[in-house]
Amino acid sequence: MSVHPTLPRDTGRAGQDLNTQALRADARRESLRLLALLSPSLFLVFAIIIVPIGWLFWLSLFDEAGALSAANYARFFEQASYIKTFVTTFRVAFIVTGACVLLGYPLAYMLSQLPRRAASICLIFVILPFWTSVLVRTYAWLVILQRKGLINSWLIDLGVISEPLPLANNLSGVVIGMTHILLPFLVLPLYASMKTIDTDCLRAGMNLGAGPVATFRQIFFPLSLPGLASGVVIVFVLCLGFFVTPALMGGGKVIMWAMRMEQTTSLYSNWGAGAALGVVLLVVTLALLGLFQWLLGARATGVWSSR
Amino acid sequence: MSIAPSALPISMRRIEKRFGSVAVLRDLNLDVAAGEFLTLLGPSGSGKTTLLMILAGFVRANAGSIKVGGDEIITTPPHRRNIGMVFQNYALFPHMNVFHNIAFPLKQRGVGAAETAERVEKALDLVKLKGLGERRVDQLSGGQRQRVALARAIVFEPRIVLMDEPLSALDKGLREHMQIELRALHRRLGMMTTVYVTHDQREAITMSDRIAVMNAGRIEQLDRPETLYATPRTRFVAGFIGESNFIPVECRNGSVWYEDQRIHTAAPSPAPGQHLMVVRPEKLRLLTDAEPASGVNVLNATLSDIIYQGDSFVCYAVLRDGRQLTLRDYCRSDVLARMPAPGRPVTLGLDAQDTILVAAD
Amino acid sequence: MNRTRSVSILAVAGLMAAVAPPAMAGDTITVASWGGTYQEAETKAFFKPTADALGITIKEDTTNGLDDVRLQVTGNAVKWDITELGADECARGSKEGLFEKLDYGIIDKSGINPKLVHDDWVGISYTSVVLIYRTDVFGDKGPKTWADFWNVEKFPGRRALSGSQATETLSVAALANGIPIDKVYPVDIDGALKSVDKIRGHIDAWWTSGAQAMQLVKDGEVDMASIWNGRAGTLKKEGAPISFSFDQGVLTADCMVIPKGAKNKAAAMKALAMFVSPQLQANLPLYVDNGPVNEKAFETGKIPQDRIKDINSSPENVKKQVLQDAAFWRDNLVEATEKFNNLVQQ
Repeated sequence: MSVHPTLPRDTGRAGQDLNTQALRADARRESLRLLALLSPSLFLVFAIIIVPIGWLFWLSLFDEAGALSAANYARFFEQASYIKTFVTTFRVAFIVTGACVLLGYPLAYMLSQLPRRAASICLIFVILPFWTSVLVRTYAWLVILQRKGLINSWLIDLGVISEPLPLANNLSGVVIGMTHILLPFLVLPLYASMKTIDTDCLRAGMNLGAGPVATFRQIFFPLSLPGLASGVVIVFVLCLGFFVTPALMGGGKVIMWAMRMEQTTSLYSNWGAGAALGVVLLVVTLALLGLFQWLLGARATGVWSSR
Repeated sequence: MSIAPSALPISMRRIEKRFGSVAVLRDLNLDVAAGEFLTLLGPSGSGKTTLLMILAGFVRANAGSIKVGGDEIITTPPHRRNIGMVFQNYALFPHMNVFHNIAFPLKQRGVGAAETAERVEKALDLVKLKGLGERRVDQLSGGQRQRVALARAIVFEPRIVLMDEPLSALDKGLREHMQIELRALHRRLGMMTTVYVTHDQREAITMSDRIAVMNAGRIEQLDRPETLYATPRTRFVAGFIGESNFIPVECRNGSVWYEDQRIHTAAPSPAPGQHLMVVRPEKLRLLTDAEPASGVNVLNATLSDIIYQGDSFVCYAVLRDGRQLTLRDYCRSDVLARMPAPGRPVTLGLDAQDTILVAAD
Repeated sequence: MNRTRSVSILAVAGLMAAVAPPAMAGDTITVASWGGTYQEAETKAFFKPTADALGITIKEDTTNGLDDVRLQVTGNAVKWDITELGADECARGSKEGLFEKLDYGIIDKSGINPKLVHDDWVGISYTSVVLIYRTDVFGDKGPKTWADFWNVEKFPGRRALSGSQATETLSVAALANGIPIDKVYPVDIDGALKSVDKIRGHIDAWWTSGAQAMQLVKDGEVDMASIWNGRAGTLKKEGAPISFSFDQGVLTADCMVIPKGAKNKAAAMKALAMFVSPQLQANLPLYVDNGPVNEKAFETGKIPQDRIKDINSSPENVKKQVLQDAAFWRDNLVEATEKFNNLVQQ
């Protein structure tokens, strides 16, 4: 005796087909609905990122007479100042990123070792500068660093130096100002990634015979690398596009790419001149991100999704 | 793995640990014999994990002494203690593959590449993970991670291995399988004194040579599993290991009384006063009219419920004073045949040698 | 002040009645300028009296310069009816065809330097680039000429020049070479660049905005600098220890234009006519240090005698200065600026 009522064979198959079709239709409807949900953001991405960048690229191919030409790019090689600006931009970006790492890593490490309550209070102090405009902070640094500013006055009053140190209106001013502004961008992702490091892993390291230094070097540091990499990438890319701080702190002697874009856009009557600078920066930035990915492998890029 | 240095005993004396004003361990003394598998068993907050952390060196005791084979190690930093440890969450290094995880302790000890490869291979073989050396940690199942953690803890042939609830993250079937395997491995390696922490009494009973039952920062009882089960010395131990019925009894004039009924006991009568009689469910029997023989305690009760569990059954019976007792027996046909219906009076028998007396709290 | 304004409104109303039919009451035009204290002064001097006299509404906006106009005109989205620009920007925009033709039947150009009167743009005010020095460093024996500024042995000290306004710095560099003020234009660009090359290593800051120039001098970051007279005047008023004069100053004009495709061209033309009229031009120096572009303003009697000597475009002061040639920079700006950048950013 069969437990189940016997259905005519063909009916069963038809029912199965019906169900398959219904399931398929459901799946289709669901993906359409998801697409519909996504479409506003897809449209936004298209309208405010893809189209303008494409437009920028298109514009960069036309000279002042409106003719198709490579003049906007040829200028980089004809005029020495563009190469110089380019080199300066990357030099500043490297120095500032380096300074952020040197200052930010120990800071993030200290924060990650503090008890939760103390750490959140300290984190507020890390984030606090975000609430002040970049302009205000840059002027504040000017007041502190210039020849008759706080630091030089103190040092001279204390007799440490007789001539004021050249801290503002040059490269060091730019580096100090930018490092201050960008430090939180390094510390926050780094701190977040350090917090996810399992303390048991460190204990395991010591238990297995690695001293504190070896444990740090072989376990803590490699595990903090994803956070460090994302912080470094963020800081470096932000550096490349900096305007206000180098304009105010550089004394006109540290010309960075964004400043050059502004100059070029007002100097030439075709948008292409400035657009070409934008395209170059974009391409170089993307190339660098690619290089970062390649150098740090999947772990660094996994940062964006997992950690 | 074959050239085993001889195992070392551990001797802990007057260990004290406070976190702020909270005393976690108080005046704790524990000896672990060389090569022994000793389990620290207790509920959470009993101090068992803290004791393990002190042994490993991650937590510094406020006072006390720990000697391993006669050498004082209480101030030795963890990386110089040469103690292997398996962590609850395994604590495998996620940025290294299986091979490098297991090779890690060898690398710290400056073992050469060829010997490292050989020993890691052996360890992998021992935990039945041969050929998985190149796997990334996140490609392993829970059971495999557990085995890697184990291999990593023993590959450098430590004299002592600590295990902190290493099986708690595994599902039931795998856990029971690993219990047996761990036990077998311990026997095979022979030279490793093992201290194992768990809150699972079955696990403790299955695996251990001896069990230290911990409660509120103290060791309540330290014995072989069967001794612990048969003769728990405190109500806590009786309650924590196995199931127990507790019946209040009084000791007067050299004999033991449950209300006005004299209780036959095998052990010499304890000090006068209130005590608790521990009755294991499987030691109670349903009596027929033909019995009882002498030396059997008879308890009259009313059957309230019977629950069949396939191979066995559980009866709930209520004594005259309203106290409920649990009885467990196998489903033999003769027992089932004379099983009364719920609501009927029953007579329960308890042999004198199965009575256990512990102090009333 | 009130009396002055009502007099001017009456006078202007009379003038308009004679010259042209009044604009349609209720028209609204939008005028863009540089913002800040300068635009506030323009509002009081030009915009408010014009709106009152013509019975129109003048809305205000701010501009970043020629880019904004180019963006609006080429994008067919002209928001402004009148906008202010630098004279060399006007000359360049004119060449690009970004502006409407001006009707000099409505706009009375008499009294305006012919160099600032063009088919599609007209001057509106003057700014001077002057040499400023700190009196706490030099007393009253500071550098008086650009040759002095270039003389690092005689006048040791920290220096700043404009890095963003190559036209001004090259004009100044030509003067430093000893070229007389009436021979500066057309600028010998290579000669001027050689002159810049000489001082380049002694420049401690190349300023990129008026505010920065002011801050550099005010905070003692530099002891001497080129600076716009408006900023220098502000420092003086604040009591900073500085001194400057119009000797060897470089007069740069601002101009106004009607962007091509402006929606209210007719009303804009009438408003512009009023902006450059002597009566309203004479209002400007009452509020800022930027001089009027119409020299007849000095004949209106509205500007106090003791104020006239401080105004950069007074007939006395104009003689001491070089007028920047917009047409010259229209043709040479790009090349000169690129060469200047190559030199300065070495």
